[in-house]
Order: sequence, then structure tokens, then C-alpha cells
Amino acid sequence: MKNNKAQFKIQQMAFMILAVFLFFILIGLGFLSFQTKSLQGNYQQLQMDQAISSLQVLTDMPELSCGYLCLDEDKLRVMSRKSEQYAQFWPVASIKVYKVYPAFDSLIKCPTANCNYFEIYDSNQQNTQEYSTYISLCKRVKEQDNIYDKCEIGKLVVGVKIKQTE
Amino acid sequence: MINKKAEFNFALLFAIILGAAILILAIYGVMKISNTQRYTTDSEIAKKITIITDPLQAGFSEGKFGKITFNQETKINNICFDGGIGRQDISVSTKSGVGDEWQNPGAATSIYNKYIFSDEQENGKEFYVFSKPFYLPYKITDLIFLTSKNYCFIEPPTEIEDEIISLAITNVQVSTKGSVNCSSDALKVCFGGVGDCDIKIYGSCVNDCETAFDQGYVEKDGDKLEFIGNLMYAAVFSDKYVYDCNIKRLMYRTGKITEVLAGKADLMNSRGCNTNLWPDLVLYSSLASSASQADLVDLNNVAKDLDRKNNLELCRVW
Repeated sequence: MKNNKAQFKIQQMAFMILAVFLFFILIGLGFLSFQTKSLQGNYQQLQMDQAISSLQVLTDMPELSCGYLCLDEDKLRVMSRKSEQYAQFWPVASIKVYKVYPAFDSLIKCPTANCNYFEIYDSNQQNTQEYSTYISLCKRVKEQDNIYDKCEIGKLVVGVKIKQTE
Repeated sequence: MINKKAEFNFALLFAIILGAAILILAIYGVMKISNTQRYTTDSEIAKKITIITDPLQAGFSEGKFGKITFNQETKINNICFDGGIGRQDISVSTKSGVGDEWQNPGAATSIYNKYIFSDEQENGKEFYVFSKPFYLPYKITDLIFLTSKNYCFIEPPTEIEDEIISLAITNVQVSTKGSVNCSSDALKVCFGGVGDCDIKIYGSCVNDCETAFDQGYVEKDGDKLEFIGNLMYAAVFSDKYVYDCNIKRLMYRTGKITEVLAGKADLMNSRGCNTNLWPDLVLYSSLASSASQADLVDLNNVAKDLDRKNNLELCRVW
């Protein structure tokens, strides 16, 4: 009888300790889940911050730029053929430049006749969010012995990866 | 009675052992979580540093200055890799009162499109960041200088003194004749090798220069670092390893930008805006791509010649 009582007490205590242990494990798991969510949130925020600041950085890059918020159309043509060589160089997932005026119905990729957008880089990420800024799109031309920069209105669009696909 | 005592003692012993095990496990868990948290925070800081430096790039201005302040002592590691475009891996470790004082650094953030000149490891609570553009002969990039140390430039040429004063770089003092004495913790930087200094800058530019210090070399820690233009600051604020590596990356980038300009010249020619620079650009591109620190001065002379030719063109490429 006494032995049974002692065994019962030990079992009772073991269960109690196990319950306390499991309780703390649950709290720990909850904390880890919160941390992971917060980490993912911070990652998204940092990616977004980088994309927005990259808009300014890209318009200043000598590979594309022709002045303050100005992209050189000739350089864009050259760079759109070199996207493989510069794959890791860009701080964003995609870079596209659209001519916004005159308005167009369908997208025609440059370099072809009457094209209206340049694809400088595309990492083929599935989940991306795009950020854009208006820019001048200029090229140096010679018309009737006058040399000047002929400019159009353009839009620089950069894509940022919003979720790890791996 | 004896049996009861035995029962009590066994139950107590069982509870104590299990309790202690749980307590040890809990402390271990907390330490692990704390380390993971520090690793996460350090990784985030490294990423933030790369983002913070975006608006600090000079862009179309003559330069920009900013300060990064941390709550606790921080180590910033700047590991540079050359070869092609190359990269810099920026990682951070923060000092902590819990567990190890210095933990392994957090995950590194790789930077491919910036050139950060600093020591391989910078320590401190306050980091000074400023940038200056680099031209060869056209704009190549903005050079970013990151340091936690204080410097004192002793009797610099007027142009350099004006640059430092206009950028209000707070960790760089300028000591001219009869003014500002250098603070004791500042590294002394002398121009023309005059005086007893930690860092000595020698200028060698004689033709087509604003000052003799448009090109030359910097002597520090027994090393000789050749420079042109604003790379003078890079040689002062970074160690030889980071400087050499970044110069190779910069020269490769110069070659790549020149290739783009050669392509642009080709396109301009095809629509009647003629330029004769194409062959010069192709040659310059191949020269620049493989250049190193020792070739800087020669390359600068070729660049000046190229700039002169471009200025003579009606349809200028840049």
C-alpha cells in the first residue's frame, strides 16, 4: 500500500515537471515563431528600402546615366545586350526602362524599330514588387549640323524580390 | 517511519535532479536564443550599412558626409574580393555583456556595385562615412570612405583644405600655420613628406593639374600606395589590402564602362553623329581592365589624352 502511494507521488511529480517543461517549450516555440515572422518582416523592409534607394543609385550609375535623373538611350541599348555580364552587379531583381510618351498599346522590347521599353536586367524572380521613378531618356543627335541631346520622358522600374523562392 | 523518510528523500532527489536538468536546459536555450538574436541583429546591421551608404554616395555633388552611430562598441569587417567586378563582404559583430564579449560576425552582405575604402576591420561606436566621385576621365563611381579613427591633415594644399571644410568632415581636423593643433588621438597626415607624421602624402603631378597632389603616392605603415585624383583619400583611410583589391575592381569597372561608351560611339556613328573615338576607347578599355595600382599614373595620362580628344569632337561621347 505504502509502495503504491510512493509510486503515485513520484508519478504525480514527474507529470507535473513534464507539464511545466512542455509549458516552457510551448512558450519557446511561440517566441521562435514570433522571431521568424519579425525577421521575415525586417527582410522585406530592408529589401524595399534598398529598392527605393537603388532608384537614385541607378540613375547616377555611369553605365546608364547622362546626368541628374537622366538615362542615356544609347547606353541602355548597349547595356540591354550585356545583362548576363552584369547579373550580380545590380542591387535589385530587375531593371526596366519604359518610354512613357507617346502612350503605347503594346510593349515592344528594344532594340527593335518603334520599341518602347528596355530590359536591362531580369533575374526571373517570380515574386517581385516594382518601384519606379520618372526620368529623362536622352540621346545625342545631329540634325542639320546642330548637335543636341534629344530627350523623352521615361520611367525607370526596378523590381525587388519579396519572398525567397528557394 | 524509516520507509516514509526514504520515500520523501527519493521524491525530493528526483525533483531536484529533474529540476536542475530543466534549469540547465532553459539557461542553455536562453543563451542559444540570445546568440541567434545577436547574429540576426548583426546581419541586419550589415545590410543596413549597405543601404545607408546609398544616399551617401556623392552622385552629382562634390562629396557627401554622414555619421553612423551604434549604441555599443561594434566591429565592421570589410572583406574585399577582386577578379572581374569583384565584391565586398560587409559583416558586423557587436560587443555584448551577455555570453562571449565578441561573437562571430553576423551574415555578410555582399556588395558588388560600391567601393568602400576602410581598414579590413574597423572598431568603434561612431563611424564616419563620406564619399567623393572618381573620374578617369569620365565618372566611374563614387568612392566611399568609412573610418572610425580621427585624422589631422597638417598644412594641406588650399584645394584639399577647402574640400574638407566644405564637407564638414568631423573626424578630420585641418591644421594650418598658426591654427588648430591636432588632438592627441588623431593620426597625423603630412603633405610633401614634411614633418613627423603617421601618414605621408607625396604629390607628383606637374602637367594639367589643380595641385601637385592630383597624383602621387601615400606612405603609411611601411607601405607605398599610388593614387590619382580622389583615390588619395582612399589611400589615407584604408589599409593596403582593401586599397589594392578595390583598385583592381575599379579598373575592371573602368574597362567595362569604356566598353559601354565604345558601344555608344558606334551607335552615334550609325545615325550620323560622328565621332572618331571608337578605336581609342577600345584600346583604353583593354588597358584599364587589367590595370593595377602600379599602372594608375600611366593610365591617368592616357585618360587625360582621351578627354582632350573627346573635347575636340563635335559629337562628344561623354
